[in-house]
Amino acid sequence: MIEQLFTSRPRRRQKPLCGVWYRLHGWLCVLPLLCCAGCFDSLPGKPTEAERYRRPNTIMDFATLYKTHCSGCHGANGDWGPAPPLNDPMFLAICSDEELKKILTYGRPGTPMPAIAKQHGGALTDAQIDSLIAGIRKTWGKEVTPSDPPIPKYLPPEAAGNVEAGKDLFASHCAGCHGNAGRGGDMAGALNDSGFLGTVSDQLLRRIIITGRPDLGMPNYRDAGSKPLTSEEIADLVALLASWRTADEGLTNETDAARTSE
Amino acid sequence: MKQAIGKLLWWFEERLELRTSLWTVMRHPIPRDLRTQVGWLYVFGSTAMTLFVLQIVTGIGLGMVYVPSAGEAYESLEHINYNVELGWMLRAIHNWSANGMVVLVVVHMTQVFLMGAYKYPRELTWMVGVVLLLLTVGMAFTGQVLRWDADSYWGLGVGVAMVGRIPWIGPELVELMLGGPSVGSATLSRFFALHVFVIPGLLFSALAVHLYLVVRKGISEPPQPDEPVDPATYEEKYEAKLKTGDPFFPDVFLRDAAFIGLTLLVVVGVSAILGPDGPGIPPDPTLMHVEPVPDWYFLPAFAVLALSPPSLETAIILIAPVIGVGIMLLLPVFSGTGQRSWRRRPVAVLVVIACFLCYGVLWELGVQEPWSPHMTAWSGEPVPPHMLKGLSPKELQGAAVLQQKTCRNCHALDGLGGQRGPDLTDVATRLTRDQLIRQVIQGGGNMPAYGKELNRFEVEALVSFLETCKPKGYAAAESSVVTDRAD
Ligand code: HEC
Ligand code: HEC
Ligand code: HEC
Repeated sequence: MIEQLFTSRPRRRQKPLCGVWYRLHGWLCVLPLLCCAGCFDSLPGKPTEAERYRRPNTIMDFATLYKTHCSGCHGANGDWGPAPPLNDPMFLAICSDEELKKILTYGRPGTPMPAIAKQHGGALTDAQIDSLIAGIRKTWGKEVTPSDPPIPKYLPPEAAGNVEAGKDLFASHCAGCHGNAGRGGDMAGALNDSGFLGTVSDQLLRRIIITGRPDLGMPNYRDAGSKPLTSEEIADLVALLASWRTADEGLTNETDAARTSE
Repeated sequence: MKQAIGKLLWWFEERLELRTSLWTVMRHPIPRDLRTQVGWLYVFGSTAMTLFVLQIVTGIGLGMVYVPSAGEAYESLEHINYNVELGWMLRAIHNWSANGMVVLVVVHMTQVFLMGAYKYPRELTWMVGVVLLLLTVGMAFTGQVLRWDADSYWGLGVGVAMVGRIPWIGPELVELMLGGPSVGSATLSRFFALHVFVIPGLLFSALAVHLYLVVRKGISEPPQPDEPVDPATYEEKYEAKLKTGDPFFPDVFLRDAAFIGLTLLVVVGVSAILGPDGPGIPPDPTLMHVEPVPDWYFLPAFAVLALSPPSLETAIILIAPVIGVGIMLLLPVFSGTGQRSWRRRPVAVLVVIACFLCYGVLWELGVQEPWSPHMTAWSGEPVPPHMLKGLSPKELQGAAVLQQKTCRNCHALDGLGGQRGPDLTDVATRLTRDQLIRQVIQGGGNMPAYGKELNRFEVEALVSFLETCKPKGYAAAESSVVTDRAD
């Protein structure tokens, strides 16, 4: 029955609307082709080498490496993170490449700074670590105007610091902000607290006293007191802080209680 | 000259008799009611079919360069992307047109369902349509595996999980599917064969039947609420409509052609702008921290599989799809007659809305994948500086401990970081110091216990930092207000 309809239907003229579509149609198809012809290579969809997947161990670009492996602790721009700033020309001026490499390769055991090198459980190859160090220097290192007296050395002097001398220095240089015996003041928090001291290295304490923390408002070795601190005086201060580390036993009872109720 | 060509054509016509076969089909009448705007709802099926043809054309192009071997597939795709002239465009079109085809098939099906076009006498057309949907999804599924990057493992994993659960013959089927006990080079060859020969062949055959039925039974007229389908009278009424109908070609065809053209433009445009998809991370077990994620249309399935408790897995992976497909296939058997208009079929409308809502919600979950930790958040996501302002040295150190102990992989600060656990930005308004200590040391509720990994200094620093996680001027949580969580 339907078949009869197929054959018996009269021919109809096409409607005007369809005609418009019909004519537009051809152009709609041809136009983009014309536009595209010859400029295929500049189309935004063309995959670029940058989009190509690269194995993590072939990434050498500093910004990417820093963003995936360091910015969590050292801050998006190398400062304003909980860990010490790397975006600090004074620090970069006193810390040698070998020292940086050692820190990155082995981490700082006993502190949150992890080992970055593959062979020590990290994620990066030796070459990547080198390019990271070069990138840190290139991005954040600046010529520091030579000062008198010169900036104290990054590594501590041979002789151990003197705790008693440290006490005096602390009172004159630090107590104004960090409070008497480092128990905390209006300007800055407590240092005499094993929650802090128990998770930082002596090397970090030395570095902080030298460079300060410009991002947080902690002054450097020159501005903390009336007179710039010398390398030995800094060692004395570090010795004092280290002696507080073991002295403070007060805090631990409640964490131990939580542990035993486990 | 003209005469000669005419003669030649006539020679063929005498033997092919296209005038009485193909031409009559092209001119088959379509009810007049389609002349109004509603006619635009009838264009999706033919557009999906056109994209299928485009898939075949681009697929053949890709097939000329693609190497279906586990060792070379990935490189051959990169080769197409970067070295073959316009190869990337071919991949992009194949990908986006596949996306478009999935979308259009679903839209077409929704339209047919809402307009009751599956009812008498077009039940079989619908059933074949369901088969076409499954085959289309099968193409999408196998195609994703051919990309052979880390994400393709998802498809393989789901396939194995599904097939492996079939009673009695499951394990044998898995081995048949993978070409061995585990994923290897035989696996890729098999999926290649499925994607290139088996499923397209089935799709072609089913499509032929579908088209035959469409032409034979005629295009359904737009439903009228006061004209329910009654098998006794329907044919007669419908034929009366056809007497005044328009021929498919060229009247109705132009509308399809217009939409098809538009769709092709969109596909080519999107391909030119967004480019091809992947290949992503190479399939290499030594690359850790890779969580395979499927193409977008499978994200809801991804979410369901990731979130379902193990006890329900068989039900969800095997039984639910079988039931779902069964319902779709048998739909015209249950409701093959009666009211067609969606205005009088509230349940049908609700079912459609519910399906799309479910899909959307699960999709959103799939996009965010809150259940999987973000493996590099701990070393990559900065602590928001405003949370560090004015903190004491110990609290600062606590933030460093939080990062180092990979808490950020599960917990966000200010929305940045993993979503598996609660955002910790305001945690101090919810938990007291004691509760924080307990949570960190004992874990609980999908959070590992950290007691053994933290020394007392670290716990102290960490908790003192967490205690500062509250808006400025906001009081800390008090034990009397907050219920004790560890009990
Ligand atoms: C999990 C947090 C964390 C991550 C990630 C991290 N660091 Fe550190 N980093 C620290 C902490 C904390 C210290 C201070 C350690 C100490 O007490 O000596 C530190 C110290 C350092 C120091 C020595 C600073 C000094 O004053 O002595 C350097 C250099 C350094 N990090 C570089 C990096 C680089 C480069 C990366 C990325 C590859 C990185 N860190 C990733 C937490 C981190
Ligand atoms: C002008 C005030 C001021 C003085 C003086 C000062 N500090 Fe600080 N210090 C700060 C501030 C501010 C911070 C940031 C932390 C905070 O606000 O508690 C800080 C932080 C620190 C930190 C921790 C840095 C970190 O990364 O966690 C150490 C260690 C420290 N000071 C040691 C010293 C020592 C030692 C002295 C004496 C030489 C000293 N400070 C003098 C203001 C001061
Ligand atoms: C594997 C993912 C994961 C890691 C890693 C993780 N957590 Fe959790 N955390 C969770 C989950 C899930 C919850 C929710 C627990 C619940 O519902 O009881 C949670 C809850 C918490 C809570 C309670 C939050 C609230 O609002 O109730 C705190 C605090 C917390 N975690 C701190 C930490 C700290 C600190 C670390 C790092 C030492 C950490 N978490 C690491 C998954 C994780």
